[in-house]
Amino acid sequence: MLKEADEKIGTQPNRSIGVGELWAGGLRKVGLATQHLQSDQHLPSDGCQAPRSLAPRPCNRLVARLEAVGNLSRDDREAIHAICRDAQAVPVHRSIIRAGEKPEHVHIVVEGWTARAETLADGTRQISAFLIPGDFCNLHAAILGEVDHDLIALTDAKVAFVPHEVMDDLARERPALRDALRWVNSVDEAVLRAWLSSIGRRDAYGRIAHLFCELHARMTLIGLVEHGCFDLPITQEMLADAQGLTPVHVNRTLQALRGDGLIELAERRLTILDMVGLQNAAGFDPTYLYLGMRARR
Amino acid sequence: MTLYRFNLYNGIGFVADEEGRELPDVAAARDEALKAVRGIIADEVLQGRLDLNGRIEVMDGEGPPVITLAFAEAVEIA
Repeated sequence: MLKEADEKIGTQPNRSIGVGELWAGGLRKVGLATQHLQSDQHLPSDGCQAPRSLAPRPCNRLVARLEAVGNLSRDDREAIHAICRDAQAVPVHRSIIRAGEKPEHVHIVVEGWTARAETLADGTRQISAFLIPGDFCNLHAAILGEVDHDLIALTDAKVAFVPHEVMDDLARERPALRDALRWVNSVDEAVLRAWLSSIGRRDAYGRIAHLFCELHARMTLIGLVEHGCFDLPITQEMLADAQGLTPVHVNRTLQALRGDGLIELAERRLTILDMVGLQNAAGFDPTYLYLGMRARR
Repeated sequence: MTLYRFNLYNGIGFVADEEGRELPDVAAARDEALKAVRGIIADEVLQGRLDLNGRIEVMDGEGPPVITLAFAEAVEIA
């Protein structure tokens, strides 16, 4: 059995740097921090072009998510860039934080895919969230004192470890950001409810179809979809662990979705060939993602 | 660890396993095949259909299957 998350990424000594310092440093270096993100562009496969029109800023996915729900000032945006500036590389299968540990940071995914996961007594694993670039985890976990699940890298990833005090200051000083973060956190809870409904009530075909509709919407929001194509850089085993299926069942379901002309999946890149058909197969209603709506004060 | 591929033959035809899974031994591969067959059968039964004519062939390379598991072997019919 593939044992995931055997090693944990340590937090770096630079976590002790003061809030003001981090802030000022971030703002000073924003102009220099623009070369990072080129590496999240993937090679195109089977004629489906990888996205090219990405604003090359660290953590611009989180800014994209937050701007979708609130009017951020230039300073708000720079503040987000600043806290993501020192994102750390996390190799695939490593854990970022493990169940039982004290959450000292908010984790922001800058590149790659990560997941919340729980390992059950019999060794099986349940993934309860896919966290893609611009998603964050453990925003309010400091209150609880310890986390109850693992956060693991599903691909090579870059993750920002932001001290809770920095997030608290940011929320206090920047009301628009605070509201946008609350909004995003609430949408994450809605996504969890949608997964619960799917696993409880949909068959394998409906679950995978629903997940693909959701991922398409989430990837669109952060600018990673082009002509209905996006990277799906995870294994069938990971899909299976997220949807309460076996990898063989996932493989068979993907074949059925292909056979019905709804999707193409090759070289870890998903193309949605018939969006209406896929939405109908899933019974997908995107309301729970609150796309195109604005946070209310 | 060995890379095992789980090729499926059933009602919707042949589904090749392009990815495979790293598992410690043939016994673990057999457990995985059993779970896979039971999961597929269970999903179909919920839709009112039971087809036990399928099989999974587990490969560990280019040679013949190291396990052939017929769907009917994966469940006990009382």
